[in-house]
Amino acid sequence: MIRDLSWIDPLYLLFALRWTVLLTLLALLGGAPVGLLVAALGRMTKRPARLASRGYIGLVQGIPLLAWLFLFFFGFPIFGIDVPAWLAATCAFSVYSGAFLGEIWLGALLSIPRTQWEASASIGMSYIEQLRYVIIPQALRIAMPPSVGFIMQLIKNTSLAAVIGFVEVTREGQMTAAATLAPLTVYLMVGAFYFALCYPLTTYSRHLERRLHVAR
Amino acid sequence: MSLVELRSIVKRFGEHEVLRSVDLTVSKGEIIAVIGRSGSGKSTLLRCINGLESIQGGELFVDGIPVHDPSADLRKLRARVGFVFQSYNLFPHLTVERNITLGPTIVKGVSQADAVALARDALRRVGLEEKLHAYPDQLSGGQQQRVAIARSLAMSPMLMLFDEITSALDPELVGEVLRVLENMARDGMTMLLVTHEMNFARRVADRVLFIHQGTIWEQGRAATLFESPTTEELRSFLGAVLI
Repeated sequence: MIRDLSWIDPLYLLFALRWTVLLTLLALLGGAPVGLLVAALGRMTKRPARLASRGYIGLVQGIPLLAWLFLFFFGFPIFGIDVPAWLAATCAFSVYSGAFLGEIWLGALLSIPRTQWEASASIGMSYIEQLRYVIIPQALRIAMPPSVGFIMQLIKNTSLAAVIGFVEVTREGQMTAAATLAPLTVYLMVGAFYFALCYPLTTYSRHLERRLHVAR
Repeated sequence: MSLVELRSIVKRFGEHEVLRSVDLTVSKGEIIAVIGRSGSGKSTLLRCINGLESIQGGELFVDGIPVHDPSADLRKLRARVGFVFQSYNLFPHLTVERNITLGPTIVKGVSQADAVALARDALRRVGLEEKLHAYPDQLSGGQQQRVAIARSLAMSPMLMLFDEITSALDPELVGEVLRVLENMARDGMTMLLVTHEMNFARRVADRVLFIHQGTIWEQGRAATLFESPTTEELRSFLGAVLI
């Protein structure tokens, strides 16, 4: 049944945007602890720990996000567990963000010179104190801009969840376009919504980079 | 009673033996200059004393703490032994004040107010009181190195280790750092310094150690050692550095 595009359609899209935002937040909530673990393991002295960290990053980054979505959506039912699309998507995106955030954070930790560890050790600080007062504050500044950059990628990539039937803004747009036969207008609107989410982050990231570039 | 005692310590990096059976006793108040070619093991010797490098053989005591013992409390040791690096290694994200108060407040549990007083005092001793609120990147190399010394001083160490602390400085900045060292020497601080400043060693050090191939090749009073070296190795080293 074909209908005309009406003023209510942008509103529907806006409602669907909630799910885009929510999926992004859930992915970060699930991905951040994974990323911390990957970063922590990656800078341990024990070789198996480092291998596990490297292996995880390599494995996740070597498989398309789309495949991870299918893996969770169709994989769970094989073991008799039926998962709703949002849960499968959250799992896939957490696995995915964990690898990318982990790599960013590990890189930031490793970029702090060994001499900073030695200097803080030399005034008698414990490992935890070194991390808390000397290493992490510096690593955070380095990791912030690329982390924000990754979050933008994540926002846009949540559109892939449409393929397993998760109705976020892209999927909503698809349905509206099919019903109204006005794909250009609809997808322009969809694009505008993504832009409205991402652009402030770009600006913020640039601002951070500029501020951090003035050293300290 | 000796403050530092090394009994035939051995340090290896893999197969390579960097220190081979080094014996050394340092008394309280003594000032020892350590000289030698690069790669001779002199920096490693210093780093072993505060546990930055572990040793593979021998015994090492600092104020009674058995540093060679894997279960030794290195935090306790380092809280009492100051170490100053060639590359300053200040914490770039913190002000000069915080760089100095971090140790006393975190490690020794001194109150923030008392720690600031300690920082002011330490900065006064290195002649940089006015830089309390500056960040490291706003200071010259010489000033950064003096702040690094103040950071160690604020911990009230009983021993200070200096690892080629003027080697990274422009020539005109070396003097200000050496003057700080001389003042500390006058105040009776026990110091071990790896240095290429031969004139400074001659003027300030009670004893000079010439490290060669991982051992103390020759040692003695600066004047004696510089004027009449007994080994060919020291003679050729001095010939190279004392142009």
